[in-house]
Amino acid sequence: MKLKKKEKIFEYIFTLFIIITLNFALPRMMPGDPFLHNTGGEGEVFTTHTVEQIQYYREYYGLDKPLYIQYGTYLKELAKGDLGYSYYYKTDVLSIIYKRFPWTILLVFSALGFSIIFGTILGSISAWYRNSWQDQILYILLIIISEIPAFLIGIFLLVVLAAALNFFPLAGSISHFRDYSSNFEKIIDIAQHAFLPVMTLTLARIGGIYLLVRNSLSTVLNKDYVRTAKAKGLKEVRIKYIYALGNALLPLLTRVSLQLGAMIGGAILAESVFAYPGLGLLMRNAVSVRDYPLIQGIFLILALMVMIANLTADLLYKKIDPRV
Amino acid sequence: MSNFIIKYKKKSVTILNEMSAVGKLAVIIFFVLILMALFAPFITWFSHVNSSGTALLPPEYPHIMGTNDLGVDIWSLICYGARISIIIGLGTSLLAGLGGSIIGIIAGYKGGIVERIVMRFIDIMIALPRLPVMIVLAAFFGPSIFNIILVLSLFSWAGPARIIRSATLSLKEQDYIKMASHYGAGTIYLIKKHFIPELFPLIAVSMIRLMGRAIVAEASLAFLGLGDPTSGSWGLIINHAISFQGIYFTPFWKWWLLYPWIFLTLLVTSLALLSREIEKISDTRIINK
Repeated sequence: MKLKKKEKIFEYIFTLFIIITLNFALPRMMPGDPFLHNTGGEGEVFTTHTVEQIQYYREYYGLDKPLYIQYGTYLKELAKGDLGYSYYYKTDVLSIIYKRFPWTILLVFSALGFSIIFGTILGSISAWYRNSWQDQILYILLIIISEIPAFLIGIFLLVVLAAALNFFPLAGSISHFRDYSSNFEKIIDIAQHAFLPVMTLTLARIGGIYLLVRNSLSTVLNKDYVRTAKAKGLKEVRIKYIYALGNALLPLLTRVSLQLGAMIGGAILAESVFAYPGLGLLMRNAVSVRDYPLIQGIFLILALMVMIANLTADLLYKKIDPRV
Repeated sequence: MSNFIIKYKKKSVTILNEMSAVGKLAVIIFFVLILMALFAPFITWFSHVNSSGTALLPPEYPHIMGTNDLGVDIWSLICYGARISIIIGLGTSLLAGLGGSIIGIIAGYKGGIVERIVMRFIDIMIALPRLPVMIVLAAFFGPSIFNIILVLSLFSWAGPARIIRSATLSLKEQDYIKMASHYGAGTIYLIKKHFIPELFPLIAVSMIRLMGRAIVAEASLAFLGLGDPTSGSWGLIINHAISFQGIYFTPFWKWWLLYPWIFLTLLVTSLALLSREIEKISDTRIINK
C-alpha cells in the first residue's frame, strides 16, 4: 500500500517533468522563427529588422545560448512564476493568460455543471424505464450526439441558432462599447454570449455521464435494498434520487474529474468556433504567429489544470470510498 | 494464413447479423464513404485543385454542391477529401493499433520491470491533455499528412496497449502458451504465432475505435489551421469556409460549410457507432462463454 502511494506521487512528479520538458523543447524545434515572421512570409524580403537588430533580439531573449542553459533559466523563471514575455503581444505571458483564463473557466465549469445535471436526470430516467421505448430513443440519441466532435456541434449551433435564427450573438464573450444600466443587464449579456459555447461543450460531454448514470443506476436498482424500499411504499422520487443515486455517484465523481482533460480540448475548439476570448482561442492565435512563450504558457496552464483535476479525483475517491 | 482469414470472414458475417439497425446503417454509410474515396476520379467531373467555374456558385448542375471562393467544385473537394480522412484514419490505426498492441503484449508477457515502466508511461500518456499536446506537436512537426499520422499515433497507442496488456495477462497463463515457451519458443515467435492471432478481434476493435478518433483529431487540427494546407481534408474546407469574412451574413455557408460538415459528421459518427456496436457484440460473447 505504502509503495503504491509512493508510485502515485512519483507518477505525478514525472508527468509534470515531462510536461515541462516537452513544453521547453518543442517550441524551440518548431519550424519557423519569430524573426522570420516579423519580416514577412517566405520568399518576400522586406526587412523590418536588420541583421544587427536580429542579433540584438536573439541575445536579449537569450536565444543564442546553448540549450541546457536555456533550460536552466526556464526552470528558474518558472519556479518564480514567470512564464516569459510574449513576442507578439509584447507583455508578460502570465498577465495575458490571467485576462483570458476566467472565460475558459466559465465555459468549462458551466458545461461541467450542466452536463452533470442533465446527464444525471436523463440517465436516471433511462435506468428507471430500462428497455422501454423511451429508454431506447434516449440511448440512441445521446450516443449519436456524444460521438459528434465538439467543433462540429458548435458549427451547427452557430449556423442555426446564431446566423440563421439570430437568437444569440455570433462571436465574442460580451458586447463591446455598450453601457449597462445595471449589473444584471451585464450578466444577461455575458450569459447570452456564453450560452452557445457552453451548450456545445455540454452536448459533447453529456453522453458519457448519461451512460455512466444509466448503467450504474440500473445495477443499483436491482439490488435487494431498493426492492425493500419499494415494498415499504417509499416514494419513487425518494428511492430514485436518494437511495439509488447516492450509491451510483461515486464512479460519476471520478469520471467527471478525469473528463476534464477532454473538456479542455473541447473548450479550445468551441472557443475557436465562437471566437470566444478564452485560452483556447489565444492558443490558436499564438500558434499561428509562432509566439513561443505564449504557447508554452497556455500549454503549461492547461496541463496543470488537468493534473490538478486528476489529483483531486484520486484524493476524493479515497475520501469517499474507505476501501481504497 | 488462409485458415486465419476464413475464420474471421465467418466471424465478421455473424457480427454483421447480430448488429442493431443503427449499427447496420453505420456500416452502410461507412462503406459508401469508402467507395466515394476509392472511386473519386470516376464520380467527379471537375478538378479538385483548379478552379472550374465562377466563385461561390450555389449548388446547381453541373456543380451539384456549388463552388468555393476560388471556384473549385465542392463535390470534387469532398470526394478527394474523403481520401485524406481515410488515409489518416487507416495510417494511424495501423501504426498506433499494431504498435500499441505489440507494446501491450510485450509488457504483459515479460512482466516485471518492463511492464511497470510501460504501465507508468501509459498512465502518463493518458493523463496528458490530448488536444493541447497535439496542437503543440503538430505545430512543431509541421503539418504534412505523414507528420499528422505520426503525431496522432504517438498519442493514441496507450489505449490499445492497456487493453491488450490485460488480455495478454490472462492469455499467457494458458497451457499451450506455457508449453510452447518451455519448448523454447522465443518472444517474437510467440507474439507472431500465438498472441497476435488470438488477440486479433480485440486488436481489430481497438483499431476501428482509433480510426474514428484519428479522423476526428485530424479534422480538429485542420479546423484550427494546423492541417496540411495542400491536403484539402474536410477539416480544412471547413476552416477555409469559417475564416471567410462574413460567411454568416451571406448564403454561402449553405453549401460551402454545410456539405463538408454533413460528410464529416456522417463518417465520424458512423465509425464511432460501428466500433461501439462491435465492442458490445464481442463483449456479450465473452460473457456468454
